Amino acid sequence: MAVVTHFSISNCVRKTESNKRYQENEQKAEQELLRLWSELFIVHDNSKYFNKMKHSRKKETPLPRLHLISSGKESSDTNTPLLNQLSLLPGSFPCMVQIREKQLNAKELLNLALKARAIKAPEETLLLINERADIALAAGLDGVHLPESGCSASKLRPFTPGMIYGYSVHSASALRMAEESGADYLLFGPVFDTPSKRRYGAPQGLEKLGALCRSTSLPVFALGGISPMNARFCMDKGAYGIAGISLFQERSRLAEIIEQLYLHLHP
Amino acid sequence: MIPSLPFLCVITDEALCPVTLAENALKGGAVMIQLRHKTASGSQLFSWAVEISKRCHQYHALCIINDRVDIALASSADGVHLGQQDMPARTARKLLGKMAIIGVSASSPDEARLAEQEGADYIGFGHIYPTASKLKEFSPVGVEALRKTAAIVSLPIIAIGGITIENSASLISCGASGVAVISAVSKADDPSKAAHELLCAIQGREA
Repeated sequence: MAVVTHFSISNCVRKTESNKRYQENEQKAEQELLRLWSELFIVHDNSKYFNKMKHSRKKETPLPRLHLISSGKESSDTNTPLLNQLSLLPGSFPCMVQIREKQLNAKELLNLALKARAIKAPEETLLLINERADIALAAGLDGVHLPESGCSASKLRPFTPGMIYGYSVHSASALRMAEESGADYLLFGPVFDTPSKRRYGAPQGLEKLGALCRSTSLPVFALGGISPMNARFCMDKGAYGIAGISLFQERSRLAEIIEQLYLHLHP
Repeated sequence: MIPSLPFLCVITDEALCPVTLAENALKGGAVMIQLRHKTASGSQLFSWAVEISKRCHQYHALCIINDRVDIALASSADGVHLGQQDMPARTARKLLGKMAIIGVSASSPDEARLAEQEGADYIGFGHIYPTASKLKEFSPVGVEALRKTAAIVSLPIIAIGGITIENSASLISCGASGVAVISAVSKADDPSKAAHELLCAIQGREA
């Protein structure tokens, strides 16, 4: 009979103690995490990103005003819409890009995130992933976008120093929760009619967008049915920026669309 | 219980409250609870993880989270269990640190050996027998595969899949350090009693 030495009760007790210590001495834990981080980045050879994280870039630079969300059609291929999109981003207009691929398992997601990270996108590009803070950490991404029902950002931050956290919000209670857990930005939609969200009923509309923007000091990205034609209306209601999925899917027009949107984005 | 005697791991059943099930399993002598729920939201998983960890630590047992390394890090869980479709153990180790417990599912000696090389702490090996708990894309691996695997890896092996009181003892003689069950405990009229009886069966003592 094999003698179990790898996880014993004493190990378990030690672990519990280490958790206690962690709570008691957050600073020490942070140093330990930074050490773990450095190990990570030696492996992924991404020292540029590590420096960025150490200095918590979001406090230095305002968030980009465009938020591109992946199509949900990513695969393990080498040439996917997301990877194409990242390589085609125009340099002069900063964007944040969210990997949102619910159909992929964690292994596939991690591989996609690592590939996305390796693409040479413009310097200011921020790469986020939906929900999975562990994959963000493992792939050296810049942040995590949480659904309303996601694990609270305040619980995830202790082991993801410097990461950006955003929340989808659809209600006043969700807004309160996002604010309390220290969100960096909010995503609200669908503002206008959009085929992908039709099954959830009528769009939220500009008035609700305006009400949300007035009730929070956090930057709000408007999502859903937005085009270079109507982006201005969202900005007039107090939106900080524009988010979209299909809006950014047309490869040949990506740079042009981003450029057009940026014309409307500055208040 | 552990380290020298065969032990019991109970995996949560998606149809039941995982906290209640964990509590019952711990009362029955389980030393490892794996929180496994593929459709629950992140906030729900987190609160379950916190509650189950608390109970596990009262019983000096381990709380392991399936797939979600972030939930394990955010809660006070002891580690993660990773399937072949999840993050590699090597990556999870970098995120979780040396103290965390990392288990990896394997269904062949090769997969088990790879998991050992990747730094896993234990192997979840199976499914040994036909099981209704999960829809499987491959047929049961059987006890011979378990014996072969136990011969080539030095990590503790937890046998999983279709385990009952009747067939459990032979797994230990094939080299498993413990067994993991879902329905044998969750679907029992008295889950705590079922856990206790299963534990007695693998330890070769009277219930």
